Amino acid sequence: MKHYAVKRLLQLIPILFAITFLSYGMMRLAGSDVVEQKMENTDGTVSQEMIDAAREELGLDKPFIVQYVTWLGKLARGDMGVSYVSGKPVFSTFVSKLPATLLLAVVSILLTVIVSIPLGIWSAVNQNRAADYVIRTASFVGNSLPNFFVSLLLMYFFAIRLNWFPVISRDVSLQSVALPSITLAIAMSAKYLRQVRATVLDELSKDYVLGAKARGVKFQTTMMKSVMKASLVTIITLLTLSIGSLLGGTAIVESIFMWDGVGKMAVDAINMRDYPIIQAYVMWMAIIYVLVNLITDVSYRYLDPRIRLGGTEQ
Amino acid sequence: MKKILAVLLMLCIAAGILSGCGGGTNTPAASGKKKVFVFGDTTFNAENEEPDINPHNAYSGWPCIRYGVGETLMKIADDGTLKPWLAKSATNVNETTWEIVIKDAVRFSNGKKCDAAAVKACLEHLIKVHERAAGNLKIASMKADGKKLTIVTSEPNPILMNYLSEGYGCIIDMETGIPKNGCVVGTGPFVATEVVTDNHVKLVKNANYWDGNVKIDEVTVRTISNGDTLAMALQSGEINAAYGMAYASYPLFENDKFKFSSIQTSRCFWGMMNFHKENPGYRIMSDPAVRKAIAMGINKKGFVDVLLKGYGYTAAGAFPESFAFGRGVNTVSYDPGQAKKILQDAGWVDTDGDGIREKDGVKLAIRWLTYPSRQELPLLAESAQATLKDIGIEVQINNTKNHNSIRKDPKAWDIWVSANVNAGLGDPQNFFDTYCLDSSIKNSGGHHSDNLEKLAVQLRGTFDPGERAKIAVKMQQELLDDNSYVFCSFLRMSMIMQANVTGLTAHTCDFYELTADLDIK
Repeated sequence: MKHYAVKRLLQLIPILFAITFLSYGMMRLAGSDVVEQKMENTDGTVSQEMIDAAREELGLDKPFIVQYVTWLGKLARGDMGVSYVSGKPVFSTFVSKLPATLLLAVVSILLTVIVSIPLGIWSAVNQNRAADYVIRTASFVGNSLPNFFVSLLLMYFFAIRLNWFPVISRDVSLQSVALPSITLAIAMSAKYLRQVRATVLDELSKDYVLGAKARGVKFQTTMMKSVMKASLVTIITLLTLSIGSLLGGTAIVESIFMWDGVGKMAVDAINMRDYPIIQAYVMWMAIIYVLVNLITDVSYRYLDPRIRLGGTEQ
Repeated sequence: MKKILAVLLMLCIAAGILSGCGGGTNTPAASGKKKVFVFGDTTFNAENEEPDINPHNAYSGWPCIRYGVGETLMKIADDGTLKPWLAKSATNVNETTWEIVIKDAVRFSNGKKCDAAAVKACLEHLIKVHERAAGNLKIASMKADGKKLTIVTSEPNPILMNYLSEGYGCIIDMETGIPKNGCVVGTGPFVATEVVTDNHVKLVKNANYWDGNVKIDEVTVRTISNGDTLAMALQSGEINAAYGMAYASYPLFENDKFKFSSIQTSRCFWGMMNFHKENPGYRIMSDPAVRKAIAMGINKKGFVDVLLKGYGYTAAGAFPESFAFGRGVNTVSYDPGQAKKILQDAGWVDTDGDGIREKDGVKLAIRWLTYPSRQELPLLAESAQATLKDIGIEVQINNTKNHNSIRKDPKAWDIWVSANVNAGLGDPQNFFDTYCLDSSIKNSGGHHSDNLEKLAVQLRGTFDPGERAKIAVKMQQELLDDNSYVFCSFLRMSMIMQANVTGLTAHTCDFYELTADLDIK
């Protein structure tokens, strides 16, 4: 197990090299740079000499490969640089956004689990009955609504009409996180409850369920001890992938609720061609996905000892 | 059944936790006896080079002056003239020397007196660290004597006092310096206590304010970049007033619960023709008849009345008529019939019946370069596309964020349409210097006029505002007579607030938002 985990973590190094190099290159291909973007945003009427000086100061006048190697060299010394836009250190800027992102991810996942697993099971157990149809219809509606639209609906009803929650997040608190996390949970629950339903139905159709029934084992016991356990592998796969995605931020929801997380920061950085921030974000995403996949693989092993980890263990 | 109940119970607990910890929305004016004001602003962010409120940093002087932290020596009135503010007077002794007398009463928010030495220290630091300011001001030396500050410029600078009225000209206490959190000490009615980039600024009342009693105790300015969120926050009462609301949301607030403060600004939506010979469209754009037809074929009034729902003003020249240098210019009006005749007489005829005219095998199609960050620009492009098609001109729109790169390529466009504040400091010189002359950094169309160059030299050496206005009118007429530039409309800037807010007024220059007059009744 340890050997497997170390191997997976070592794989992170070439991944980080490749992904940061690619993102650096792709941002250059996108055209424009931060100096130009700032000029546009401010109706800038500065001289060409000042523009050139600004580019030189940021090192943007140098060839792409020189810029990348310089950035990499600084990173190796633990210096992630400063944001081209705000002038603030990248590391502290990034870290300041993490609590908001983590809270939003955790609350959204919890809400999703609370809603989608019971409803998915209920729907499967009551297949083709009224409850099943209602749940499937709700799931269809939830899947069809884009996040921004759900956000606006929730704002209208819960902030403007009922005055229960704020429109704009004031701080990283449960009250402020309510509407953004419900928005995300609606979309994820709508998707997951159908997948939970399908997985449970698949298990219910297996012979061991029929055998248990024939032996007089209570249905609830079969459900909890066998069906649920067997379904968990699929459910955990789905949830961990969602955790990865949520930890990368949810730019639209964050922008609408003014939730100060990494997703909004990344989109703003891309718009402004703020390379140091973009690179930090890309690295964060790569690390998240490698770790999340590792945790998922390890959890498989605990749930089902028959599963082999990367062919290293029996 | 028990499990179902358990699940429902869990859901109820979750909902209870989420709602119970809140206590409803913010009611800004109702925090005890304190008057608290919350202002939603779309523009306060690092993308606009406003990462904090330190006026010596990039464009951070704008929030400094807008939110009432800093004040300048002179103030720009809505007609573009300068009025004394921290300065009692500013006298032009000779072409390069200015004598400025500071008012006796002026104090920094920390209680210290603001005399000429304090102003000198502030301006010295400004020109040392702020390249744009140093280039504009051209200060060679300064001398402080009690309340009198003498500034000597390296060359004649008729608009020195206008430049000193820009955000970067806010006078801050340099003995306190520039704190790490960016909360500089100014002379304004509010004192900054917390600045979080791209998020908010917290302000408290300046108990030592030199120019009257400040009525609001605490202010929070929230950066709200999403237009829908801004509208909902104002509707829910979380914010008392909003700056930068999308036009589409205006009808939500046209009722008794809210009110508007609107004013015509010098932000102009205008187009520049491409005269570069290497441009594939040169044969079209170099034809005076085509340029005149374009100017006559754009329905400015229709654009303002219909697409902007009346939230704008049609333009004749580069500056609004509220300024002396915006009055007395003449240009062609919207007249599609006459435009068709002009094109016909010039030999542009639709020979293949597709509705677009041709001449000598060249199709009358123009490439319209614009950008989406100003919501009005794509609308203007579509409006012009429709009305110009009626007279036989095809408009191919390139609406792109990368317009600044593309405009530098003389072969990539025929007309570049942008939105700019043409007289933000109450003076016309900057517009011509930037866009219209041989030396202009944004004269991307390569426009040249000998007469315009001569007038520009004259303008730079003229100190009398009346004479400057006359020269500026002549310069605009030069641009309009050959239709090398077409000015479509001016922005009507609005701030929307709850009905009980008073003293929040929009200004032509877009400064002075939060003042001592601000109150909640």
